[in-house]
Amino acid sequence: MILSPEVISILILDIVFVFFALIAFYLSIRISLYWDINSTSKMQYTLEKQSSLAATIIKYIFIIKLPLFLFFIFTLDKISNVLTGAMCAAGVVDATSYGTYLFILKIINIYLFGYWLMLHYLDIKYENLPYVKLKFRFFTIAFFVFISEIILEILMFSSIDISKMVSCCGTLYSSSATSVISSIFLIPTSVLLSLFYGIFLMMICFYYLKNRYMFSIMNFLFIIVSIISLISFFGTYIYELPTHHCPFCFLQKDYYYVGYLIYTLLFIGTFYGISVGIIKQKNQYIQKKLNISLIFNLLYVILVSAYPLIYYIKNGVWL
Amino acid sequence: MLSKINLYLVQYAIGSILRAKYKSLFITIIFTFLTFLLTSIFFISNSIKYELNSTVESLPQIIVQKIKAGRQYDIEVNNIEQILELNGVVDAVARVWGYYYFENAGVNFSIVGLNQYETQYKKSFTNIVEKFNLDKLSKNPSMVVGQGVYKVLNDNYYTKYFNFIKPDGTFKQVDIAGIFDSNIQLESNDVIVLQQDIARQIMGMREDMATDIVVKVANPKEILMIASKIKLMFPDTRVITNEDLKVSYDNIFDYKSGIFLALFIISLFTFFIIIYDKSSGLSSEEKREIGILKAVGWTVDDILKEKFYEAFIISFIAYLLGVILAFTFVYIFQAPILRDIFVGYSQLKTTFELPFIFDIQTLFLVFFLSVPIYIAATIIPSWKSATIETDEAIR
Amino acid sequence: MIKLKNITKIYQMNKNDKVIALNNINLHFKEGELIVLKGSSGSGKSTILSLIAALSKPTSGEVIVDEKRISKLPDNFAALYRRENIGFVFQKYNLIPTLSVKDNIIQPLIPANPPEDELKVKLDNVMKRFSIEHKKDLIVRNLSGGEQQRVAIARAHINNPKIIIADEPTANLDEKLSLDFIKILKQLKESNKTIIVATHDPLFFDLDFVDKVIEIYNGNIVE
Repeated sequence: MILSPEVISILILDIVFVFFALIAFYLSIRISLYWDINSTSKMQYTLEKQSSLAATIIKYIFIIKLPLFLFFIFTLDKISNVLTGAMCAAGVVDATSYGTYLFILKIINIYLFGYWLMLHYLDIKYENLPYVKLKFRFFTIAFFVFISEIILEILMFSSIDISKMVSCCGTLYSSSATSVISSIFLIPTSVLLSLFYGIFLMMICFYYLKNRYMFSIMNFLFIIVSIISLISFFGTYIYELPTHHCPFCFLQKDYYYVGYLIYTLLFIGTFYGISVGIIKQKNQYIQKKLNISLIFNLLYVILVSAYPLIYYIKNGVWL
Repeated sequence: MLSKINLYLVQYAIGSILRAKYKSLFITIIFTFLTFLLTSIFFISNSIKYELNSTVESLPQIIVQKIKAGRQYDIEVNNIEQILELNGVVDAVARVWGYYYFENAGVNFSIVGLNQYETQYKKSFTNIVEKFNLDKLSKNPSMVVGQGVYKVLNDNYYTKYFNFIKPDGTFKQVDIAGIFDSNIQLESNDVIVLQQDIARQIMGMREDMATDIVVKVANPKEILMIASKIKLMFPDTRVITNEDLKVSYDNIFDYKSGIFLALFIISLFTFFIIIYDKSSGLSSEEKREIGILKAVGWTVDDILKEKFYEAFIISFIAYLLGVILAFTFVYIFQAPILRDIFVGYSQLKTTFELPFIFDIQTLFLVFFLSVPIYIAATIIPSWKSATIETDEAIR
Repeated sequence: MIKLKNITKIYQMNKNDKVIALNNINLHFKEGELIVLKGSSGSGKSTILSLIAALSKPTSGEVIVDEKRISKLPDNFAALYRRENIGFVFQKYNLIPTLSVKDNIIQPLIPANPPEDELKVKLDNVMKRFSIEHKKDLIVRNLSGGEQQRVAIARAHINNPKIIIADEPTANLDEKLSLDFIKILKQLKESNKTIIVATHDPLFFDLDFVDKVIEIYNGNIVE
């Protein structure tokens, strides 16, 4: 059980979140069941007031979640100093069976909460509040995903055993490992890169064709292929080491914290990119989101491509 | 979503805070005090950790202790021969040391026995050996003591010598030959250095035994491997590496600051309730004000935003003040009272300076423990006041 | 321009207690009219005002302003409607006494977050019109009754609303201030604003520029 102050503060905030999320959940159920915009009963007026409380709670959780996620990564980094064998956050994530799932869930939840807020702001633009029931039904489901994340987080922190040795990212992310991750390395680099750039080019095409569904799907695929290519190929150029594949190490000071920039660009780009497909809205809003998505994805591609290119220019060879 | 911040709302929020002068001041003071306390504790523990870690650097790489039935016993000096044969071992030195309980003063002295002609395992001891010739010190049994020891002995009327009580009940008189100072303040205050055989006599140890053996290794990366080899060689020993020590120090400190965190949570919870209580009880004045705002066209969201700005401003200012005060308290005034909690209540307290460590993670940590929680406490009361029935409020 | 159709408003005090504030009333006001709602307190006239201002919602019936149904607007739309169309003059002014004149007047503008120069222009215009420019930084509670009245009217006017609603505007005023207020009302009528005044002050009942006087008693219109 690891009880450093950082862990305790994350757990405290988790408790606060659960408390408020439960309130929002309760309100969501009531609103999903009884909401009727045309009714003039007292119940309806009360529901209208309560919907603003639920929205405020979700806004609060989302706003705090973002910096808290960064803090979470910092904390993992710090714990890695106490865990024998771990040299960066990767080792800590791997120390328990919950680590990887927790990480993925956290990211999914950030997307989910973000989409809820997007839907909410769209909803209140219209007088008849067309998306209220959808919104709150959506939250009813998102609530369970959120609670799973908190439970996993508590489980993970309480089961970290500092006397047990963990693998460093060097072994985790190498071709000789036996985990799912290692199967990534079976994909030949050329295939991976063509997929990466190919999907990005298709994204640009669908941008000009104004086909928002395909654009959205491309963005979703883009997340997957970006992460894989980042671990397998681009990361090695950031480290200038063909065997260093860790997706966490370049978040550290030694690499000028470039990891945060990389992931932020990818997140914003794909967040807006996927949103145009799943949320129906007026064309002007869609266009704006398409633009943001394309720009950020483009910046991401440029940034990660820059590393191998610069390396080649400096050294005349590829890794 | 990334909309412009409404500066007028921010201005209004500031105005609103200043208008409720006493309430705002009260809350800010309490909150500042809480963050101050918390930040101070973190600063102190960070500094001590750093200080100790630098100490750990100078600790032996490997310590070999003889263990029987879970307890430490004297170890055979001869074991050194076999250890020296291991590849990568630069040196192995037998240490003679222990504690002596001085009953009159109720304090423990650390006894260190040094051999004049051996390489010392600690730089500070090398200095002592150079300064005071221990061989001479053994002719007429004499010792060199630390500042704290000297003071205690003086207070108990031992100014020129001291009578140790040996385990067999007889006395051994040892003269005080000198006082030494050491660079590492945390440790040396309660130390007495003697020639090794005299030390053995005082502790009732046989001539061919020692307290433990320290091993120096050429390549630090090989420490673990050599440690395991030694363990294989001598199965009745416990082999401790400096990494183990480092980790255990870290844990002790986190444990201690963890306790304070727990206490802090309790006070935060209390504070949460106070805030909730204060914000919920809306005076008729406040109700009227909100009613007016809504009547002239403010939405519930606008009012919530304004209240959020109020909450954020107060909590953030309290956070900054708390941090600055903590900084002044810990690093400029050297944290009187609080540091005792960490350093321990030993009589022979060391005087040392808390080094200034800037750790941005600590600042984030305190931030997350204070600001979001304060804002959370205001969510429901703000909402309640923002959604009151306007027409009733302004009647 | 303003229509109240079959409006009933019931306040549910608690389980068994309810107050019928308005009982199936119908009203129709044309643009530019000055209407006086006459009745004692509790008759329901204030309720009519808050319905027109979308400050409360009817238990049944519809409120239509300029062809737009405002009775069931969600909160943010109702507030927007108020900001753009309604100027409120309350009983006791309902200014925030600890704020300055300027800060009170600009309150209706804040949610829209207008650029600084636009806000300044509107503020200066309205302060000039009601002659309180010279007092703009003073704290409201230090002003005389007449000055506070002008600040309240300035605030009601800053967004240039089509409809002015006044709830017992002369209730706490002496005769001179009441007559001053009536003078301002006449000015506003001349700029073609629709004005609805709820009052039981007899000064209003015989004015020549009043278009209609409607008497309300116990939630019903007296014919």
